Amino acid sequence: MTVGSAGIPAPGTPHVSTTRRTTGVVRRVVEVARAHEEGAWRWSARVAAVLPLAALVFALTVLVIKAFPAIKVNGIGFLSRSTWNPGSGYGTTVHSHGVAHPAGSSYGAWPLIAGTLQTSVIALVIAVPISIGGAFALTERLPGWISRPLGLALEVLAGIPSVVIGLWGLLTLGPILAHDVYPILGDHMPDVPVLDYFRNPVGSGEGLLTAGIVLALMIIPIVASTTRDLFTQVPPLPKEGGEALGMTDWEVANRVTIPWVRSGIIGATALGLGRAIGETMAVALITGSILGHTAANIYSPMSTIAATILSQLDGAQTDGTGFAVATLAELGLILAVMSVAVNVVARLIVARTSGLAAPVGRA
Amino acid sequence: MESNKEESHVTRMLRAKRCVPTTVLAIGLVLAAAAGTASAAQPKLPKSGVETPPAATLTETGSTLLYPLWNIWVPDYTQKYPNVSIQTAGTGSGTGITDATNGTADIGASDAYLSPSEVTASPSLLNIPLAISAQLVVYNVPGVTAHLKLSGKLLSQIYQGKITNWNDPAISAINSGVTLPNLPIVTLHRSDSSGDTFLFTTYLSKTDASGWGASIGYNTTVAWPNVTGALGEAGNSGMVTGCKATAGCIAYVGISYQTQALQANLGYAQLQNGKGAYVLPTAASINAEAAGFVKSTPANGTISLIDGKTATGYPIINYEYAIVNGKQSSSSTAKAVRSVLEWAIDPKDGSSPNYLSQVFFQPLPAKVEAQSVKQILKIS
Repeated sequence: MTVGSAGIPAPGTPHVSTTRRTTGVVRRVVEVARAHEEGAWRWSARVAAVLPLAALVFALTVLVIKAFPAIKVNGIGFLSRSTWNPGSGYGTTVHSHGVAHPAGSSYGAWPLIAGTLQTSVIALVIAVPISIGGAFALTERLPGWISRPLGLALEVLAGIPSVVIGLWGLLTLGPILAHDVYPILGDHMPDVPVLDYFRNPVGSGEGLLTAGIVLALMIIPIVASTTRDLFTQVPPLPKEGGEALGMTDWEVANRVTIPWVRSGIIGATALGLGRAIGETMAVALITGSILGHTAANIYSPMSTIAATILSQLDGAQTDGTGFAVATLAELGLILAVMSVAVNVVARLIVARTSGLAAPVGRA
Repeated sequence: MESNKEESHVTRMLRAKRCVPTTVLAIGLVLAAAAGTASAAQPKLPKSGVETPPAATLTETGSTLLYPLWNIWVPDYTQKYPNVSIQTAGTGSGTGITDATNGTADIGASDAYLSPSEVTASPSLLNIPLAISAQLVVYNVPGVTAHLKLSGKLLSQIYQGKITNWNDPAISAINSGVTLPNLPIVTLHRSDSSGDTFLFTTYLSKTDASGWGASIGYNTTVAWPNVTGALGEAGNSGMVTGCKATAGCIAYVGISYQTQALQANLGYAQLQNGKGAYVLPTAASINAEAAGFVKSTPANGTISLIDGKTATGYPIINYEYAIVNGKQSSSSTAKAVRSVLEWAIDPKDGSSPNYLSQVFFQPLPAKVEAQSVKQILKIS
């Protein structure tokens, strides 16, 4: 609070021309406001600071309350079972642990947890190298007349609604991949562990790999634009020093520029991972929506937690016992916990790597 | 809806004001209110068959199968009664039922009747048959132009992954004269909660009681068996586009999507009925099947019309339901809802072939229509 700056006269300051114009009442009001300004500011800041935390606590509490009947019935096995059976809504209602649910209902989230992790990992494996390479080219290599429009395109890509990307994935990218790309992979991958996951059948283009590729397209703008901003922060002196020592361009990039912002890149990757884990609409359109079992190979239809909540909510609401909705709330809880865990782990990694990898001269 | 309440309030006030003294005004108000509730409890169907609606804005959500019909009904109904406006949305039967329950929508459309647990959860809900629909089993088998013959047992085996190729002897045995290609079968099912899934799995449960019926059963969403390549698709249109893109696919869609299915070059099957005959879904076979269920249709319309015992009937047909809360928020909304539904099932109006033939639906048999009218008049 710098009183007297910006042309506003502080009380008692001999500022002749304004004092003449200001009537006594107005001056009094201004003085009272001044006296309370600090308190008001402090309180609004406090409320603003607490609000996000309160919202988070509120959301999690409601989720836990809604999910509670499902947590009781589904038990810890919910995390490891591979089944998705809403039971017969037209059959009898049974009670277990005091909770009403349709006879025969049995839920397990393992295929959905696995699907969420699989699509996210595929997306990161594709997106992170492309993003770092692209960001590096934009800041270090390309002339401004190319890099500026390219950078703009990157930001425009980030702004495309996910449902549009999902539709494009379903109607255009999926069929192209299934007809022209996947068969090449499926036919020629050797029958050895890990790589045999890429062997036939390649399916229809709705499935794990397509979902991962589309997710990659959605997180590239996030990771790349963050990384680009990081690269522009690297001061020129260390890079020039590297070149003076006879390093090649590649060595400068690999040993000076990228290590300088390593923790930032990890943070950017965590941002992308967070987006990939929670992305719903685009994924729901292209996973093939298979709930009860994990993907048999990398082309298989599957589903993720977020996509399942979206696609099953309508049907869950027809379960008169409310058990199906409770189970979806439990899924939501798992998703929230996964997202928080990703954030925490990313922070730990950043804390461990920052400073260690930084070259001399960086605090 | 808020404005309707105000409006009826205003008319009551006007009516009351005729009895000038203020002391009488209060009594007048009470009387008017009492008269209002009395007439709402026992509405009568006018000779025209359709009550004249008060000004109202109604919302319809639900079944994607019924959605195309609502879209051809609404312009004509609102042209006749311009003081009513109706917003429609194809959201899936589940949302339709939920919206009708909590009052988000005035009319919920569903291909499936209410489950016992839904009735327990909201006892004031009515399921009112509006028309008769059927379900097609469609497929994308290049080179096959004939209508393949399929039975419920066969479909059960296919959807359980026990029959995996179109050239399987079990399929060719009943399709003599058709050259079936060596092509893996890709089964499509609905990923969203669907009345179509309810109909299809009911057919499988009834025709393969010891297999499908015992292990999987019927519902708007079921635990689909683990079949290689099987896909979940959202909505009837998702089924059609998904099947078009996948050679070897098999899927089930509502008959109102027949035109889209044919445009996508999909074939549709002759299904085996309860008497063992293979029948195509036509107006005649749908009406024949429906006729067999008229006697057994209860007053509340809750019945499955699958796999009846009519020799010429098509085995997967169903009533299309309006899910309506029997206790509406205001008597004027209730009257408007009644009017729309009365118009919709009247064979001279909404249920004339002029509308229904566009989506290949059939009108309700006379006795069922009369039962539906009785249910509609319960809305207050």
